[in-house]
Amino acid sequence: MRPDPRLGAAVLAGKLAATASRGLGRGGGTTIPGDVALAIDPGVLAKLGAALPRGSVLVSGTNGKTTTTGLVAAALEASGERVLTNASGANLVFGLVAAAVAQARPLGGARADRAVFEVDELSLERAVLELRPRLVVVLNLLRDQLDRSGELETTARRIGDGLRRLPRGAHVVANADDPLVVAQCEGVEGVVYVGIDADDQLLDGVPHAADARTCPRCGAPLHFDRVVLAHCGSYRCTRCDFARPRPAVAVRRITAASLDRQRLELDDGTVLDAAVGGIYNAYNLVAAHAAATTLGVPAATVAAAVAGFRPRFGRMERLRLHDRELRLLLAKNPAGLDVVLRTADELGATHNYLIAINDLVADGRDVSWLWDVDFERLARSSHRPHVVASGRRAHDLALRLKYAGMAAEQVTVEPDPAAALRVLASRAAPGEEAVVVPTYTAMLELRAVAQRAGAVGAFWEQRG
Amino acid sequence: MSRPLRLGHLYPRAMTIYGDVGNVCSLRRRAEWRGIEVEVVPIEAGPADLEACDLLFMGGGQDRDQSGVFADFAEHKRASLERAVDGGVAVLAVCGGYQLLGHDYVDAEGRVLEGLGLLDLRSRAGDDRWIGNVLVEAEASMGLAEPTLVGFENHGGRTHLGPGLRPLGRVVVGGGNNGEDAGEGVVAGRVVGTYLHGALLPKNPALADWLLAAAVAHRDGESTAAPLPPLDDRLEAAAHTRAVEIARAERGRGPVARPRGARRP
Ligand SMILES: [Zn+2]
Repeated sequence: MRPDPRLGAAVLAGKLAATASRGLGRGGGTTIPGDVALAIDPGVLAKLGAALPRGSVLVSGTNGKTTTTGLVAAALEASGERVLTNASGANLVFGLVAAAVAQARPLGGARADRAVFEVDELSLERAVLELRPRLVVVLNLLRDQLDRSGELETTARRIGDGLRRLPRGAHVVANADDPLVVAQCEGVEGVVYVGIDADDQLLDGVPHAADARTCPRCGAPLHFDRVVLAHCGSYRCTRCDFARPRPAVAVRRITAASLDRQRLELDDGTVLDAAVGGIYNAYNLVAAHAAATTLGVPAATVAAAVAGFRPRFGRMERLRLHDRELRLLLAKNPAGLDVVLRTADELGATHNYLIAINDLVADGRDVSWLWDVDFERLARSSHRPHVVASGRRAHDLALRLKYAGMAAEQVTVEPDPAAALRVLASRAAPGEEAVVVPTYTAMLELRAVAQRAGAVGAFWEQRG
Repeated sequence: MSRPLRLGHLYPRAMTIYGDVGNVCSLRRRAEWRGIEVEVVPIEAGPADLEACDLLFMGGGQDRDQSGVFADFAEHKRASLERAVDGGVAVLAVCGGYQLLGHDYVDAEGRVLEGLGLLDLRSRAGDDRWIGNVLVEAEASMGLAEPTLVGFENHGGRTHLGPGLRPLGRVVVGGGNNGEDAGEGVVAGRVVGTYLHGALLPKNPALADWLLAAAVAHRDGESTAAPLPPLDDRLEAAAHTRAVEIARAERGRGPVARPRGARRP
């Protein structure tokens, strides 16, 4: 490529900023280098993206971006590609730039073949315009941190704006089971729909937290034949012809399901055996499979990559602390927390939970969503579970559990994360697995406590 | 033996956002803990007999759902609601439900969405959206056992009360009705309107009990509400106190504004 002094300066300054901020202990410098590089060359992302011989893949949607990005990257790597990704979860434009700068050659040339980036829903349009991706994955539009992104409908429209800007020939892998996603794909070319046709693990009705019970096209009520998760399932409009499109790739059966393992049989015969549990991860798995195969990776290679994939950064981790096994599962919205609790309880995996709710910007400052979570299910459980309520909003959680019907002796309020972990460890029997469900910043705090106790390493030291 | 208390939940499918369903949960539990049987009546689109309820609750919704609800309410429920309120049925209306009680809502493009005109108040879209914790000193004449209310606001609308109306309380932290007169919400007879989510009632048990006492009075045909027997509210009080601390720590920052492009409620 022709030398571009401005790009070279931006990359160099970004790299220096990364080194400097790591030196200052600022969380691995995941976005500061992006700020610096963009200040020097506003075109830095477009230029670095254009230098990638196989272009980029973007993954967006409210739940499952990090896991799906990791799965797609793993599949592409297994096929021999060098893949660049924003593994630390910094998914705004600054985070993408920082990741691109970190891997670029000092003058701006590419070391990787392809980028696979997770992208925040509200940043998708800009990322599409700059990177001109070959493929975009849209996972779902579940209720999330509403005080950050405004209403779900606005978020949906922003996704649609991004999809309509895709270059000719690009593909979209989209969730057929989510009516809000499907509505944004109307009129978009090259859509590959994925979905779940398995009849197990289905809910008995649309949970009250569901967001899309009216037709996105005409506003009439939607009729659901099946509900898989939140408002995702098989649906059709009671007035117009809006309905779930037939998926090109569907999950036919789910077996061997547990908190950290499941086996999916797809309708084309592919079997995905993965170390990620929970129905929401079934969506991530089938989307990643469709994305990788659409990009030309053989199905067998995808399956092998999926089998070797390990989730990271609190999505589903095992920790050993105070001589107890803990499973750490990030929950950032009602649908996510619902599924975690449902899966843990149905499998009888544990009687002991630690749920930590913070209300900082990254968690969502409004904790009203706790009232949209089906804690009543937990309260009715025959396992008679115990919950340590922790975090800045420990009392809100404890109150929610009381009104869900849990007895006073089933709940301990302990806002401090270190003390809460000690309470959990003292309650769980040796060998028993306890489930830890934090919001984002609560997860960082709990991990820091666990790290000081020697249980885990810092997230930015993990393989990216 | 008296009949169950009837709690009408208006549009439980469309108008359920920001955990407002927690208000229904609070009312139901606090009645049951006192041995008062409760029947929650979901009220969807179409004609409805609101006078048959003792208490009506309506939350806010997403834009798409909310305009349909406004139209359905005006067509099928306006007269029934007026009779219900005249007959002493208690009402809690949050956010979009609150705006609906007034004459109209004028959106950012100047379009007028007709309200019910039940209360003399009007709402219009503001320049920005107010998002944050709110602390309110409740209207003294309500005689609430705990004089402060806590909640979380998330609205772009500005509401102005007519001269005869009192706000639910005076804003200590947050935006409230309009940012000009320090008012938050409205209280008129047994009708309460507010922008507060949280959900509102679980952390403000005094207000929950005020509404519940009004509903019991309606059921029993009493003109004044008798106080309800106390409950063990230590956890509620702790959550309330913590929310007050968090809101006070944000004092002076004013409402957290988000630029235009943000939409109703
Ligand atoms: Zn329709």
